[in-house]
Parts: sequence; C-alpha cells; structure tokens
Amino acid sequence: MVDSRQQWKAWLYLLPALILLAVFTVYPIINTVKIALLEGYQPLGAMGGELYAFGFSNFSKVIHYKDFLTCLKNTVILCVTTVPLSCFLALIVAVCLNSIKYLGKVLQTIYFLPYVTNTIAIGMVFAMMFNIVGLTAVNADTYQGALQVYNIYTNSQGEHIGYVAQSWGIINNIIQAFGGNPINWINAGVNINRPGANTYIANITVMIVYIVWNALPFKILILLGGLQGVNKQYYDAAKIDGASKWRVFWRITCPLLSPMIAYVVITGFIGGFKEYSSVVGIFGEDMGPAGNGSLMTIVGYIYKAISSNNYGTASAASLILFGIILLVTLVNLYVSSKKVHY
Amino acid sequence: MKRKLITVSMLLLAGTLFSLVGCGGSGEDKKNGAYVVPEGGFDTTKDVEITFYSTMGDSLQSVYNAYIDEFNEIYPNIKVTHTQPTGGYDGLLEQVKTELSVGEGPDLTYCYSDHVALYNKTKSVVTLDNLMEDDDLGFTKEEYQSYIKGYLNEGRQFGDGLMYTLPFSKSTEVLYYNKTEFNRLKLQVPDHWFSEGNNDVTSMEYVCRELKKAHGDSQPLGIDSEANLFIQMTEQLQTPYTSASGEHFLFDNAENKAFVQKFKNLYDEGLLTTQKILGSYTSSNFNDQKSYMSIGSSAGATHQVPSKDEVGNYPFEVGIAEIPQANKNNKKVISQGPSVAILNHGDDQKVMAAWLLAKFLTTNANFQAEFSIASGYVPVVTTVDSSSEYQKHLAKTEKQLAQYYTKGEEFWEFTDPYVENATPVATTVPVTSPNPGVDQKDRIAAESAKLCLAQKDNYFTSPAFIGSSEARNQVNNLVVAYLSGTTTDINVAFKDAIDKCNASI
Amino acid sequence: MENNQNNPQGEIREYSALTSSNNTLSESLKRDAATYDVKKVERRAKAQKIISNIIVYIFLIALAVIVIFPFYWMLISSVKTYDEYTQSNPTFWPQIFNWKNYADAYSAASLGTLFLNTVYVGIVSTLLSLIITVLSAFAFARLEFKGRDSMFAFLLATMMIPGELFTITNYQTVVVFLHWKDTFSALIIPFLVSVFYIYLLRQNFKQIPNELYLAAKVDGKSDFEYLIKVMVPLALPSLISITILKMMGAWNSYIWPRLVTTDTTHQLITNGLRGASFYLDGDNTKVNYPAQMAAVVLVSIPLFIVFICLRKYIMKGVSRSGIKG
Repeated sequence: MVDSRQQWKAWLYLLPALILLAVFTVYPIINTVKIALLEGYQPLGAMGGELYAFGFSNFSKVIHYKDFLTCLKNTVILCVTTVPLSCFLALIVAVCLNSIKYLGKVLQTIYFLPYVTNTIAIGMVFAMMFNIVGLTAVNADTYQGALQVYNIYTNSQGEHIGYVAQSWGIINNIIQAFGGNPINWINAGVNINRPGANTYIANITVMIVYIVWNALPFKILILLGGLQGVNKQYYDAAKIDGASKWRVFWRITCPLLSPMIAYVVITGFIGGFKEYSSVVGIFGEDMGPAGNGSLMTIVGYIYKAISSNNYGTASAASLILFGIILLVTLVNLYVSSKKVHY
Repeated sequence: MKRKLITVSMLLLAGTLFSLVGCGGSGEDKKNGAYVVPEGGFDTTKDVEITFYSTMGDSLQSVYNAYIDEFNEIYPNIKVTHTQPTGGYDGLLEQVKTELSVGEGPDLTYCYSDHVALYNKTKSVVTLDNLMEDDDLGFTKEEYQSYIKGYLNEGRQFGDGLMYTLPFSKSTEVLYYNKTEFNRLKLQVPDHWFSEGNNDVTSMEYVCRELKKAHGDSQPLGIDSEANLFIQMTEQLQTPYTSASGEHFLFDNAENKAFVQKFKNLYDEGLLTTQKILGSYTSSNFNDQKSYMSIGSSAGATHQVPSKDEVGNYPFEVGIAEIPQANKNNKKVISQGPSVAILNHGDDQKVMAAWLLAKFLTTNANFQAEFSIASGYVPVVTTVDSSSEYQKHLAKTEKQLAQYYTKGEEFWEFTDPYVENATPVATTVPVTSPNPGVDQKDRIAAESAKLCLAQKDNYFTSPAFIGSSEARNQVNNLVVAYLSGTTTDINVAFKDAIDKCNASI
Repeated sequence: MENNQNNPQGEIREYSALTSSNNTLSESLKRDAATYDVKKVERRAKAQKIISNIIVYIFLIALAVIVIFPFYWMLISSVKTYDEYTQSNPTFWPQIFNWKNYADAYSAASLGTLFLNTVYVGIVSTLLSLIITVLSAFAFARLEFKGRDSMFAFLLATMMIPGELFTITNYQTVVVFLHWKDTFSALIIPFLVSVFYIYLLRQNFKQIPNELYLAAKVDGKSDFEYLIKVMVPLALPSLISITILKMMGAWNSYIWPRLVTTDTTHQLITNGLRGASFYLDGDNTKVNYPAQMAAVVLVSIPLFIVFICLRKYIMKGVSRSGIKG
C-alpha cells in the first residue's frame, strides 16, 4: 500500500518536468529519429512537396564522409584533454578559494567574470592574443627590412629562411621576451618551427587553453558551492588526527565533493563531445586555419549539414554522436557509482 | 560557357517572342512556370498586411520609413510590417529558412541569390516574369529601362531562365590606392594583373614590385576577399567555375590552377596578401601604410581612408580605380549587395502587395538615391541622375573621374593638398584641385559611387543553386590554403575544395 | 578560537561549538604531552602556513590576471574606434574614448521595453524552473519508484543531442500548434526543464544524510514538508547557482527569442542589442566589433550585479545547517 502511494507521489513530483520534456525534448527526438531514417530529408524540400524514402543512406553518408574520422579525432582529443584539466584546475581553485582569508570575495568575483561575458567576445579576444599579423617568409641573408627575423632555418638549397611579422601577438611576444621562437598558433600558413610540418599541434593547444579557460568559471562555481556544503566537522576531525593538507584533500575533500566532481566531469564530457562554438570562436565557421576544416568536430559537421538544410544527415550524425556520448556517460556513471560517496 | 550562351540566347529568343506577342493577353501568353497574376489583379479596396524582412540597419531604416509613407499614399490599403532579424544576412537566412520549413515566412525579403535557391526548395519563391509584364501591376517602359541591366539580370541566375529577384542596392569591388605614394614613386595605376614583358608599367605585378623595392617590409597589395578574386578571375578569363544545372562544381581545371599558381608566385615574392593570410583587415594595413593598394568592397570606401593626424590632416590621399582585368575586351566585375524576393504563402493579394512594394522601392529614384548615399551602396536604377541629392553627393569628387583610373593615364600631376611636401608637376591636362572643403571620406565615397556607375556594363553574378555559397566558401579556402602554404600541392587544394562542395549538397 | 586561527589547516574558518571545544581539548592534551616542543612546533607550523598561503595567493592571483585579461580587453575594445580596433598592433589603452559605441549599441528601438521584458522572462522562468527542478530532483534523489534509475539515465541521455536539431520541431510546436508566436509563453515554457539542473540538484540532495529523512518521518513530517523545510535550505548554494545560471540563460538567449518574437513588446534585450547596427554602415560584411563589445558589456553588467548580490548567499553556504541543525 505504502509502496504504491510512494510510486504515485513520485510521478506527481515529476509530472511538470515530464510533460514539458515530452513536448519539447522527447517529441523532437522522435522527430530526429524519423528524419534520420528519411533518405536525404530536407525540411524546405519537404515543405515543397518532395517525398523521401525510408532507409539508412543518411547514416552511410555520414560514415563515409571523408573527414568524419578527422571530426571524431578532434572531438575526442579536445574532450580527453580539456575535461580532466579543467575539472582538476577548478577543484584546486575552489579548494584554494575556500581556504584563504583575504581577497576571497574579490577573487571569486573575478573568476566568475568570464561566465557573464559573451563567448563571441571572448573568442575574439583570444584569437587576437594568438594572432600574427603579416607573417612573411624572408631570406635572412638578403633581407633588408627593419623587422627582426625569427625562426631561421636552412632550406634544401642552403638558403637561410626566416620569418618576419608586423605583429606577433601578445602570446608570441611573451615567448620572445623569454628568448623563445614564436609559434604560428592560429594563422593560415606553415609551421614556422618545423619546416614541412603542419600547425595542428599549435592549433589544438590554443583550443585546449581556450576551452579550459571557458569551462573554469562554471566548474569553480559548482565545486565551490559544493565545498561550502561540506560539513566542517569532517575537517575538524582530520585536524585532530593531524592529517597533512594533501591527505585532507585526497581523503576528505575529494570524497565529500565526489557528487559535485562527478557532476562536472560527466557534464564536462557531454559538453566536450558537443564542442563546436569555441572552435568557431577562434577559427571561424570553417573550423581551421585557412578554413581547411582541420579542427572540425562532430557537432561542427552537424551544424554544417543543418546550415545547408541537410537535416537527414544532420540527424543521422547526431544520433551517432548520441550513441558515442551515451557510451562514454555510461562508463562515467559506472566509474562514479564506484567512487562517489553520498 | 556553351551552356550559358545557349541559356542567354534562349532567353533573348523568349524575350523577343514575348514582346512580339505582346503582354497582358490571355493565360497562354504567360511565361511557362512563372507565377500567374490572378484574374482581377490587385484589389485596392481590401486591406492587406505584408511583412518585409531586411538587414538594412537602423540608420537606413529612417530613410526607408520616410518612403514607406509615400508608398502608403499610393496604396493606403497595404500595411507593411518591417522587421530586421538580428545577426545580419546569416541571421536573416536562418530566420526565413526556419519559418519556411513550417510554412510561414515574410512576404518580401532581402536576399542573396544563394539564399533564394534554398528558399525555392519550398517552391514558394514568386517568379516575377508575369508580374513585370502585367498591364496594371507591371513596370512601365521607363521603369523597366531605368534598371541597370547587369543588376536586373541577377534575378535570372537560377538555371531555368525565370526571374526570381529584383536588385535592391548593390556594390562591387574596387581598387583603392595610396595616391600620395603613387605620385612620389611616379607609378601608374595598374589595370591588369600579370606583366607582359619586362617593363609593363600598368601591370599589378610591376607596380607591386616597385612598391616592394621602395618599402621592403610592406605587402604592396591587400586583397579583401579571396573568393571574389577567384570568381572574378574565372569570369574574366571565361574559365569554368560553377553551373546552376547539371554538374555544379566545375572550377577544378588547369586554367584555374594556372592563375592560382601565378598569384601564389606573387605572394611568395611578398607582393600581395589577403585578409585571411594577413590575419587582419587589409583596409587597416592600407590605412597604416603597410600596403599601398587594397582591393575591397566599394561600399566600404569610407573605411579605406586613414585617420587624421593631430593637426587634422590626412597622412595620405586615397585614389580609387577599377580592379585589374584579365581581358580589356571582356571586363568583368562582381556584383554584390542585397536583392529582394517575394515569398508566396497562398495569398495572391499579399504577393501582389509585396510586388508593388518591391517595385516601388527599387524604382523610386529618390529613395534609391537617399538610400545609396546613406549606405555606401549604389542605386540599381539610372534615374537617380534626376535626384538633386544624389548629384550633390557625386559632386563631392570635383574632378573628372576618368583622370583617376583610365589606363595609362599619368596622374601624378595633381597637387596633393593633404601632404605638405607633395611635388606638383606640370601637366598638359587641366587640373581642378580637390575641393579643400570636402572631407576625404566624403570624396572617396562619392568617387566610389561614380566608379560603380561607370562600370555598369561589366557586372556579373555567378550562378545560384543549392551549394553555390559553399562553392564560394571553398574557393576562398583554396586560395588561402595554397597561397599561405597550408596546402602545398595545388592539385590537392583543388580536389579538397571540390570534395567539400560535393559533400555539402 | 585563538588557537584555531593559527592552525595550519587553513581550510577551516568557521567552527561549530561542538568541534571547537573538542579541538581545544585535543590541543590542551597535546600541550600536556609535549610542553617543551610546543613553541617550536607552533613556529614551524606558522612558517609553513605562511609559505603555503603565499603560494596559494600567487596561484590564485596569477590565474585571476589570466582570467581578467580578456574581460579587460573587452572593456577597452568597447570604447575604441573601429579604426583603432583593427590596427595590426593592438593598443592596451584606447587612444580616444569613443563612447559612441555605446550609443550605437543602445540605439536599438525601445531598449527600455526590451530590458523589462528580459527581467520579466528571466524572473518568471527562473522561479518556475526552480520549482520544477526541486520537485523532480527530490523525486530522483529521495523517492523510490519503479524505473527511477532508467528514467534518470534517459534524461541524462537527452542532454547529448545537439539542441539545434530540435529547433525546427520546437518552432513548429510553438508557432503552428500552440500559436505562441510573439508571446512570453514561447520564451519561457520550452526551456523550463533543464536536465543539467535536475542532475545538479539531485547530486546535492543525495548528499543529505538519510537519517534526516527518517527523523523527519518520525516527526510526522510529510515528504513535501521535509523537502521545503530541510532539503531546500540545505541545498541553497546549488539552488542559487542554478538561479544564476538560469538568469544568465534568459539574459543571453538569442537564437530562440529571435525566431519566436518579431515585435518589440516581446523581444528580449539581446535581440535589441545585437541588431543589424553592428555591421559597419554601408558594409554588411564587416562587423563593427567595438560596438558589439559595447553591447556585450551592456548585457553583462546587470548579470554581474546579480552575481555579486547572490554571491554572498552562495558563500554563506550551509555552515548554519547540517546534522546539528
């Protein structure tokens, strides 16, 4: 009796959420599945009376897309680097913030700033910091201009080739100040540190920095909130035992915070697999230096399909992505069920 | 090219037949497949509400508002709701696409031809042929003839010869140059790209080399749009680019590779750069005197002028000229800027009302004049000549434009009021000194407008189809990737672009 | 208390009566055990604490500088002229303060109405969203019912599909089926449920010890009373985080409001601010970034103020609650 009343009550609690989800999430998902199975479906064409056959061609089109593996690779790289990095950094920051006596309020406010600003604006600022203006290769021996020549190497003809630029960007200026060679971070062109190599590693590094930077405020907010919720008695007990700081961190803070850590890690992975706008923020709609799509992600591919009205392939690709994330999340949930302490 | 010729000649034939038969007859005379004006025409007694989407911006909205009142005096029963979806052209495209997907949408909208190809998947874009010819609603002879033909023909770029759009306001690409520096080095304005022989003083190649000699760290020429460079070259050289019907993407061919390679050579020599390769707007490089020529939109003329120094003088004087041409007998320059299209949601009254508004806005000389002055775009009708406002605007040049850009013209005779030590050189050509009362920004805007009007026979647009915007994107990327060295193999660069185009449709 | 202040375990700032008395006890025990070493140990502990504090501060401040730089850049860019903004060598301080950018950003019609609309939509959707989130998180965290875990997994899974795919379907639902075009309902209702928030709150609720629930049952409290009187206060920091996030969502939302509203009586502030005016006059291909930055600053400020106001509550945390409560 009690059990069935509990059941009934639980559904009552869930009712508002479930109704809204049914209308605005489940129904669109069903629609997405339907569209993914309609070969070559386009909403505009459908409106114009075109008919589409049922089949799996959308899926095969996605899988056979030449650069699909590139998309997958980029997505995975960005995900497995940025999620642990940002979560760890956020945790450290949260613990530090929680431990200090002075400036705490000011620093919290500052860390939260990126969150209230706009991704476009921040993307532009980041791009500006890494951007080189007027990168030109010159023959270092015959060069007459006033600019300093960097990254000189000897090419196969025995000439000394180097690079000049009107502006190397703030990041490169810092590298130069420490005597290092500037790096072609985000611009179209060659790798100026290793002749013949591409700029992929530099490009992806910028993306990692930007994504971590972007993800920090949210994670700090959540973890700090969680940390405030931790009962102080645990710490006091630890103090009595004379445990070291690290021991307290690993043995008390982490386990007590584990639900929140699980939360930021799992949502981080889900968000990481949907990475798109940050790449556009730095590299533009074509997602790569020289617009070559070398940093295209899966969601980038989906967007491209949507913008050319190919909802059939977009739906198929997003179902594939759905499968991938579902798998990763299940693994995450499994791991966290072993590690999370409630 | 052959296909294009056939299309054009068929169009001409159709046009001739059409005019022979005469207009306003029975249904059989109507153009095959085009929207048919319903019996009874437009009902001026019934109120009708239409929506118009544009991205004209707030400053132009006031010009528009003034003229919508005039429009309502003629058609008091038409109520126009003007909406500006945010996010520029992309925002507009997204908005209209979404609305069309559920059977909604504006009645009249700003558009690029690429957009229209997409919209027309719903078969709701109204073809204008019969409306244009209609006795009551159509153009008068004067109205029809007032259009700049190159602009009007953009409406027929969709592969079936039917008219889908009306031009609204237009721009093109022009060459801005640092006249002060050209004077100092006694250079001539280039009118073609590559040197034929050693001393081809009017070639871009020669001029760039001279400038590079004088300024080792400069990139003498900055190119704003890589895609426009590519597309204009194909049109000037008459090599295949795209086609609206059949095989769409035709740009992977030896001729195109040859000219891209030539540009690559110029780039490697440090003679030119493009916006994406430079990593900054080419106009800012030009204004900073790090480059001495810049190819960019005629509508952006006021941004191709350097900032004044502390005492209020411009550091140099800007000149404006046609872009280099590959073939003097086949001058081609790209036409850009918005057109308008009518969307049919099943209400003929609305379609006709939208048509009347489109016709009014595009043929009203005063509106076109004021709109152009405020926007920097050029009008689509020649009747703006009658607008005194527009004449005043153009008069700010003070000089005969021909002296600036005619091939081989020696123009260093102009004294330069903007630079203290400018060398006045005697000349046989009578010179009007620039009016010191006219600000350089106004002057260059006026000269840009004049230059656009002077080239009215050279305009072209590339075919519009689903995927045409992707083609534009991809040739842009191709030029950037190959010139900058991101892709080292030209064949790979071209093939990659073709693959990406094909994947998009 | 004095003693505690000098404790190397810097995490602790507030103490319940119980623990601090415990602590004093243990300290005094230690003191008894090693009377002669106390001063030395304390001095070493103090030095250690200072060093670790310095490291912590250096780390936090360095990170703060990195974090604040783009924000600073946005601010100075918002007052630069377009010409200065596009210079190849960026300036770290504007040569001329071009306040006109703000005027340009602000010039959008009836910004006052848009502002009020946004506040209204923000508050209503946050309140409703909080209610729905609390109720469902409670069900998932505390109540037993068939299919709870699989239902929760399914909800998590729905987060994984890019929302953009839903746009057309949702647009159809809202505009064609529900006739909500140009209504506040269209802006509020479709986004009331966020699985992210339900998940966050569930995590928080699950942390609250079961004993409290059982105790409440013994006291004869109903589930709902328990939820409101015990769980909600305990989960306050998370609720406030959700409030901030939701407010921000309403404040920054752009694409959907643009689609479903066309008249200024219902449009939101971002629609007004990101108008076509961000394109340079006469050149629709070049974005007037300084004006855009100014608009971003204008949008950010109210949010920022909300954050500063609420931050106090986040920080207050639950030090006053817990088992002892």
